Amino acid sequence: MTETFYDVLRRQGISRRSFLKFCSLTATSLGLGSAYAPKIAHAMETKPRTPVIWLEGLECTCCSESFIRSAHPLTKDVILSMLSLDYHVTLMAAAGHQAEKQLEEIKKKYKGNYILAVEGNPPLNEDGMFCIEGGRPFVEILKETAADAKAVIAWGACASYGCVQAAKPNPTRATPIDKVISGKPIVKVPGCPPIAEVMTGVVTYMLTFDRIPELDRQGRPKMFYGQRIHDKCYRRPHFDAGQFVEQWDDDNARKGYCLYKMGCKGPTTYNACSTVRWNDGVSFPIQSGHGCIGCSEEGFWDKGSFYDRVTDIKQFGIEANADKVGGTAAAAAGAAVAVHAAASALKKAKKSETVTGEN
Amino acid sequence: MNLNAAAASLENDPETAAGKTVYVYEGPVRLWHWINALCILVLAVSGYLIGSPLPSVSGEASANFLMGYIRFAHFAAAYVFAVGFLVRIYWAVAGNHHARQLFMLPVTDMKWWAGLIRELRWYLFLEKQPYKYVGHNPLGHLFMFLFVTVAAILMICTGFALYGEGMGLGSWQDRLFGWVIPLLGGSQATHSWHHLGMWGIVTFVILHVYAAVREDIMSRQTMISTMISGQRTFRE
Amino acid sequence: MGAYETQGFKLDNSGKRVVVDPICRIEGHLRVEVNLDKDNVIRNAVSTGTMWRGLEVILKGRDPRDAWAFTERICGVCTGTHALTSVRAVEDALAIKIPENANTIRNLMQLNLYVHDHLVHFYHLHALDWVDVVSALKADPKRTSELAQSISNWPLSSPGYFRDLQNRLKKFVESGQLGPFANAYWGNPAYKLPPEANLMAVAHYLEALDFQKEIVKVHTIFGGKNPHPNWLVGGVPCAINVNDTGAVGAINMERLNLVKSIIDRSKEFVEQVYIPDLLAIASFYKGWLYGGGLSSQAVLSYGDIPERANDYSPGNLLLPRGAITGGDLSKVHAVDLKDPEQIQEFVNHSWYKYGDESKGLHPFDGVTEPNYKPEGPKFKGTRTKIENLDESAKYSWIKAPRWRGNAMEVGCLSRMLLGYVQPTQYPFIKETIDGVLKKLDVPVNALFSTLGRTAARGIETLYCADLQVKQFDKLIAAIKAGDTATANVEKWEPSTWPKEARGAGFTEAPRGALGHWIRIKDSKIDNYQCVVPTTWNGSPRDAKNQIGAYEASLMNTPLAKADEPLEILRTLHSFDPCLACSTH
Ligand code: HEM
Ligand code: HEM
Ligand code: NFV
Ligand code: SF4
Ligand code: SF4
Ligand code: F3S
Ligand SMILES: [Mg+2]
Repeated sequence: MTETFYDVLRRQGISRRSFLKFCSLTATSLGLGSAYAPKIAHAMETKPRTPVIWLEGLECTCCSESFIRSAHPLTKDVILSMLSLDYHVTLMAAAGHQAEKQLEEIKKKYKGNYILAVEGNPPLNEDGMFCIEGGRPFVEILKETAADAKAVIAWGACASYGCVQAAKPNPTRATPIDKVISGKPIVKVPGCPPIAEVMTGVVTYMLTFDRIPELDRQGRPKMFYGQRIHDKCYRRPHFDAGQFVEQWDDDNARKGYCLYKMGCKGPTTYNACSTVRWNDGVSFPIQSGHGCIGCSEEGFWDKGSFYDRVTDIKQFGIEANADKVGGTAAAAAGAAVAVHAAASALKKAKKSETVTGEN
Repeated sequence: MNLNAAAASLENDPETAAGKTVYVYEGPVRLWHWINALCILVLAVSGYLIGSPLPSVSGEASANFLMGYIRFAHFAAAYVFAVGFLVRIYWAVAGNHHARQLFMLPVTDMKWWAGLIRELRWYLFLEKQPYKYVGHNPLGHLFMFLFVTVAAILMICTGFALYGEGMGLGSWQDRLFGWVIPLLGGSQATHSWHHLGMWGIVTFVILHVYAAVREDIMSRQTMISTMISGQRTFRE
Repeated sequence: MGAYETQGFKLDNSGKRVVVDPICRIEGHLRVEVNLDKDNVIRNAVSTGTMWRGLEVILKGRDPRDAWAFTERICGVCTGTHALTSVRAVEDALAIKIPENANTIRNLMQLNLYVHDHLVHFYHLHALDWVDVVSALKADPKRTSELAQSISNWPLSSPGYFRDLQNRLKKFVESGQLGPFANAYWGNPAYKLPPEANLMAVAHYLEALDFQKEIVKVHTIFGGKNPHPNWLVGGVPCAINVNDTGAVGAINMERLNLVKSIIDRSKEFVEQVYIPDLLAIASFYKGWLYGGGLSSQAVLSYGDIPERANDYSPGNLLLPRGAITGGDLSKVHAVDLKDPEQIQEFVNHSWYKYGDESKGLHPFDGVTEPNYKPEGPKFKGTRTKIENLDESAKYSWIKAPRWRGNAMEVGCLSRMLLGYVQPTQYPFIKETIDGVLKKLDVPVNALFSTLGRTAARGIETLYCADLQVKQFDKLIAAIKAGDTATANVEKWEPSTWPKEARGAGFTEAPRGALGHWIRIKDSKIDNYQCVVPTTWNGSPRDAKNQIGAYEASLMNTPLAKADEPLEILRTLHSFDPCLACSTH
């Protein structure tokens, strides 16, 4: 037998007692009552690892790269003991026919029981042939694999929203996966890439509790995407105080003031960076002096420069930000008023002149 | 009614005969008008400073709260603004028929169109005289509807949606207005629309105040005093 | 097109056509087709990039200061190198000078990428071409321990350690759920390691997986995250503050200590695990010297790691610059990215359109217009179901870059060769290579091979791990002398820019020579072109039907089993292909 979830927990120093406690907590939180705890314990001790098929479309592989950075759990433990990473082109030993066969077998053997994890997205232009795998359009493979999946995880900005290749003018018509997969629960884990521990956190949540995490309106797990960077940013006191970096590398930058005026998108970005932080908690963009660029938000590439606070409104076709459009309108109104007032005064003066003249 | 007939009936409305005085704006409308004007002043200034903050202050962060106060002023005024708007809606039902004007555009009424054209020509110096109105002239009416009624709804929806982001998922602001954010394409876009809304309103205010002063002097009816006393007096 | 000769290779596409697609353990989507003669020797090779995203098209009209973030997303494996190339291109166009510390920090980040990327490549993308995981089950842990201790001082080497690991591996295999190791080529006769060496390598596969996540923390400290740290036109975004209040959030003493500890540990891991493993594995394969491809004829490097800021001349670059053509190692040609005669891209066999395809285009005038057309007399299949491509027609999403008309190999082997032939400037490279050759008891010519490429990568990692320490010392010395500047904002505002400007930026990415060419007009990007290492190496044929480095490297290699492409993978992997990069 392979190492089960229980074995892994044990190896990580968790006692049998706390394991059983964990099982009864799980049972209660699932609304099953404590009588179910032994069953859950049994399942965790013996259940085969859940197969995961990880597909890659148009992407940059940084979601995979991020995934392997996980510090808790260690990626090694995830792969060897928690799940069965049965198809993952970037890591798997087999290639070509042998890889294709592996995919077919897993789909058949675990029909309805595997998790499909998708990194990247399918392009739809040129009949999908901007991304070819095994001579076929990636979108076909994606749809076929999704059809028998239990649940789907959309890794990163690519799978969730389209990301950089979908930025204007999106020449390949790169399309978020929820637009081509239907009838399956989809968990979006956005970010470019997402934080490693958020990725493994989402997966282990699904394995541990055998359900999909609670999602927000945009389909993201609330537990990691429920708050903005700004809500938990450690520079927030400087924001409230009105203390900003005014220029790169100025005194305020050296004092760690708020990066709002440098275009920080923390106030409009939902992600766990300011709490979980990156790479085992070492830092996150703002801590290292650059504003958040909003990499976990939909379409963040097309929302104006990363360094502007008041950003572009794309509905205006040409690039224009609210202050430019509005300021121009207000200034035009002011100028029009001045001219109109002068003309009106002139007219009134003329009128009273004629009136006096008539008298 | 065709346009000409409509124009004739406007010119000869006995209610607006020279020298007549009519009670138009009831107390709550007038009170709301001035409170609302004040709110907008505070909201526009504080809102602008939220988008483009003042130069940094010095000293410890804990000893300063400039941005906090500015945002507080914004949110406080925002609540007054929103509550005032709700009360104003109530008064549209409870008050006289002039109180309802702000919320409806009589686009099917030929008289209104005739008046609109006349008013436009008046502002283009193509008419010697405007028509007289007990309530709002059609041009003012149109602008008020778009840049006060519609804009207030936009500002309240986007504003409370943004406020809900700070209050957190599940707060009443989020539950009531949270849907706005994905609809507009995310938080950043919502900020942009909210910001743009400000400029719409500022532009309106400039034109509105100018028109009020000008009409008071040049039209055939009182204006500013009307929004103070509620009474409108007509001239020749 | 039947049989023909090019670059000293006899191409013959008459034999049995074998397709490998997808090529796994690489970045992105790559396909190869080869023709085997009756002895299963490769007589024709066709490599195809099978993805395109259009970053060059997407960049048009955007703010040049944002370009680094877009181009960085070309690849998450060589993360950061495109961003660095991009800020250098913009700085070149606008004549922006960066502070000395910004240069040092950029160097540290770039070197850090090398160490990380090379290590991950060796263990996680390449090792399984040499290491048989299943054979490790048969190893004697005690003898494995002896082997490990005989080649290195690395402490994790007791018999118990290897026994535990073997047990875990056993359980894993017995579960029947082999995950990423399923359905591979275990037992193929091309695997040569004894079980003990296999077990040791598997142990280090897992250790390296744990350790690689530590290495990148240098990016996290200076750039806020990895993958995809943050960069800045005019310097680096992180400020330095080692004395004053508020230093948290800036680079302070605690951060510097963390950097120091990571680069020290990285160096240790490379010296005590990576290099000994590499040498141990190589010693069993030194009879298998296929895969040299173009490396003995034409290699190219732009160089990188400027010792002093703002000086990109060859003499100031710690990674060598230059080109070798015609196999003449005695002559290192100067490389100029802006000379329209030197670098040109062809699209005769690529799915793009030029007005006149008989000529190549210099990247300043580069055009990227997709034109998907699988065709040719030997093409088999349909538009959306390709069975066989025809290399006489267009057959890849990769363009064909050429240097003075030559197909070039770029990458670690090219760089190490250019260092080797310039020993006065690069004594470390020369000495290390000589040491390795001596240890393995092979002649210099052995470098021109798959194994040579793999060894060059290890040698380079050692060099870079060492340079990291030196660059760190330089940073400390500058701070000590009171210099803490990290950004130059003089030309931050677009209002200070000329109406039109153009510039070229380069780095040596882990996989080879990387260039970005930018034209700026009215503060916006007017044209942006990238020519990327894997564009060079994975290049399809050109106007003269010259083959690219991948294709050349596969030529004349015998396969142990025609239906198991192990040797193909081995050689392709030695380049560390990155297809997202190649087509962008
Ligand atoms: C933020 C500033 C202001 C806003 C948003 C605003 C808005 C409005 C609105 C919505 C009405 C219609 C009232 C109703 O039907 O309930 C109105 C009427 C009026 N406002 Fe204002 N107002 C502002 C400032 C001012 C100021 C500063 C003045 C005076 C100089 C002024 C003078 C008037 C007058 C005279 C009327 C009556 C117009 C008429 O009789 O048709 N307003 N205003
Ligand atoms: C006339 C009405 C209003 C005007 C002119 C106005 C103006 C503004 C402006 C210009 C901003 C800055 C936007 C940016 O660049 O990010 C802003 C932000 C904001 N406004 Fe308003 N606003 C109005 C009404 C409201 C209302 C009714 C609310 C409801 C609570 C509200 C809540 C907010 C919030 C939450 C923010 C974001 C604050 C932050 O990011 O710290 N606003 N407003
Ligand atoms: N080819 C390539 Fe890269 C590298 N190294 C980039 O320039 O891998 Ni993604
Ligand atoms: S979401 Fe971003 S990080 Fe992930 S694959 Fe796409 S481009 Fe790379
Ligand atoms: S740095 Fe960004 S996220 Fe942090 S407080 Fe300032 S604006 Fe908010
Ligand atoms: S840029 Fe991305 S990594 Fe976090 S701080 Fe912002 S969401
Ligand atoms: Mg290119």
